[in-house]
Amino acid sequence: MTGGSSSESLGTAVFARELTRRFGRKLALDDVRFEVRPGELHALLGPNGAGKTTLIRILLGLLQPTGGSVELLGRNVRRHAAELRRLVGFVPSGDRSFYLRISGLENLVFFARLQGMRRREAKARSLEVLEHVGLAEAAGERVGAYSHGMQKRLSIARALLANPTVLLVDEATHDLDPEGAERVRNLVRLACSQGAAVVWATQRLEEIRGLAERVTLLHRGRVEFAGGVHELSALARPRDHVVRLANGRPSDAAVRAAAEAALRGRGRVAPVGGSDAGHYVLSLGENVVLGDALAALAAADIQVHSCRERRSEIEDAFRFLTEDAPS
Amino acid sequence: MTALAGELRKMPAFVRRDFLVAWSYRMSFASDLISLGVQAFVFAFISKMISTNELPTFQGEQVTYLEFAAIGIALGVFIHFGLERVAMAIRSEQLMGTLESLLVTPTRTATLQVGSVFFDLVYIPVQTALFLTAIALGFGLHLEAAGVLPATIVLLVFIPFVWGLGVLSAAATLTFRRGGNAVALGAVLLALASGLYFPVDLLPQWVSTGAELNPIALAVDGMRSALLGGAGWTETLPIVAKLAPLSAISLLIGILAFRLALQREQRLGTLGLY
Repeated sequence: MTGGSSSESLGTAVFARELTRRFGRKLALDDVRFEVRPGELHALLGPNGAGKTTLIRILLGLLQPTGGSVELLGRNVRRHAAELRRLVGFVPSGDRSFYLRISGLENLVFFARLQGMRRREAKARSLEVLEHVGLAEAAGERVGAYSHGMQKRLSIARALLANPTVLLVDEATHDLDPEGAERVRNLVRLACSQGAAVVWATQRLEEIRGLAERVTLLHRGRVEFAGGVHELSALARPRDHVVRLANGRPSDAAVRAAAEAALRGRGRVAPVGGSDAGHYVLSLGENVVLGDALAALAAADIQVHSCRERRSEIEDAFRFLTEDAPS
Repeated sequence: MTALAGELRKMPAFVRRDFLVAWSYRMSFASDLISLGVQAFVFAFISKMISTNELPTFQGEQVTYLEFAAIGIALGVFIHFGLERVAMAIRSEQLMGTLESLLVTPTRTATLQVGSVFFDLVYIPVQTALFLTAIALGFGLHLEAAGVLPATIVLLVFIPFVWGLGVLSAAATLTFRRGGNAVALGAVLLALASGLYFPVDLLPQWVSTGAELNPIALAVDGMRSALLGGAGWTETLPIVAKLAPLSAISLLIGILAFRLALQREQRLGTLGLY
C-alpha cells in the first residue's frame, strides 16, 4: 500500500486505486478503482462473492490490501486508522454486532464512549439517535428482544453516533421486509443529505434506482462498470420482448410451435403465463436483431399485433455485465 | 498524555458493560460462590486427615492443612478465572460478532484488551477476598491481619503475570481457534508445580528447585507467609522483587503475541471467522 494522499484523491471522500486483495490463490479484488464524492450516496453493486464486503473491510482498515492504495477524506487508511475511525460510521451486514443481554441504550452509550464521549454526552447522544431511528420506546429493552429490523436500525443509530463524514453500509436491507428496508434506506438518505458520503453495498438491483446517484458494479473482484445509475441502465441490451401473436390457430401451443418453426433458431418463444392468452416472450438469439425475428414471423403468416421490451434497464445491464464477463 | 487519558476514560464504559452483562446472569454470581464454599468444605474434611507435621511453617507458625490449602485454593481460583476470562475476552467478542464493531471504533487495541478484562480483574480479587473471609469465619481459619496489605501487594504484582498468560492464550486462540488451549495447559502444569495444594518439598527435587523461579509458587508462598505467618515488608519485598520482572515479561510477551496475532488476522482477512 502506498503512502500519503495523492492529487487524484482531491475532492473525494473515498478513494481506492489499483486495489488488489488475495485470499490464498483466490483474487477477491483485482485492480479496483473506486471513488465516492462527499455527500454522495454511491451504490456498490455486485452478486454474492463479488468482493463488496472485502472492499468495505479494507476501507475500514479491518483488512489489509495485497496491493494498491486506499484513502478516506484524503488520508491513507493504514497510516491514519485511529483518526479516521472517528469520522467513519459502519453498518455491518450481520445481525450479531451488539451485546444482546443489555439494552439498546446501554449498547449505544458503550459505543459512544468508545468514540471518546463522556458518559453524560454519550447518553444524551444515544437517546437522540435512538429517537431519530424510531427506537426511543425500546431504548430500555434488551437487544436480544429486538426484532431483526430493530437491530438493523440500532446498527444505523450506532453508525450515526459520531456524525460520520463517511458511512459504509454493507447489505443493510438484504433480509428486511419492504417496509423495514425502506425505513433503513430513508435513514441513510437523511444522513447523506446532511453531508455524509455513503457507500451502500448491495446485491439488490431494485433498491439502487432512486437511491444512489452513481454505482460501481463489482463482479469476481473486478470493476465491470462505474458511473451513473442512468448510464448503467443505458448499457442494457434488451434480449426479451413481449409479443402478441396470432395466425388463426386455436391453441396457444400451436401458435407457439409455428412461431418457433418460423424463427429457425433466431430466438425462442415462451408463454407469458397467467391470463395473457396470445402473449409470448420472444427471446432473441445471440447477434439476432428484433427486425429479423419479426420479419421471419411475418413471412410465416404469423401476425404480430404488439411488441414491447420486457423489463430492461439495470436488471439487464447487471446480467449483461456479470454473465458476459470472462471467468 | 491526552491520548492516554482519553483511552483511560473508556475503562469505566467496559466495566459498566461487563457488570451489566454479568448481572444479567445472576445465577452465575451465586454459583461461583457456592462452588468455592463446596471446595472449602471438602478441604476442611481432608484437613482432618493430614498431620500438621507434613506441612511447612510460615514465620515459625505451624499451620493446618485447611489454612495451607485455603490460600492455594484462593490463588488457584484467581488464576483459573483470570486466565480463562482474559483468554476468552477477545474470543467471546469474536463469537458474539462484536469484535469488528469494537475494532472500527477509535480505540487502541491495548485499550480493548485491558478494557475487556478490567471488570474481571476487579471482580475476581474481590471474589478471592470474599472466599478467604468466608472460610476464615466458617472454619476458624487463622489469618494475620497485619499480613493483609503485604499479601494484597503480592497479589497485585502477580496480576500482570496471569494477565500476560491470558493475553498469550488469547493470541493463541485467535490464531489457532480451538487449538489455543496450550497456554492454559502450561499454566496448569505451572500451578501443579507451585505448591498450591501440597508443599513443593513433596515434589521431585528438580521441580521444587524450579519453584524458585515459578511465579505461581512465589506468589502463593508470599501470600501464605503474609496471611498465615504475619510476614511484614522485610520478608515480602524480596518476593515482590522476584515476581515483578517475571510478571512484566509475561505481560509484554502476551501483548506482543496478541498484537502479532491480530495483525496476522487482518492480513489474512480471517478476523470474523471462528
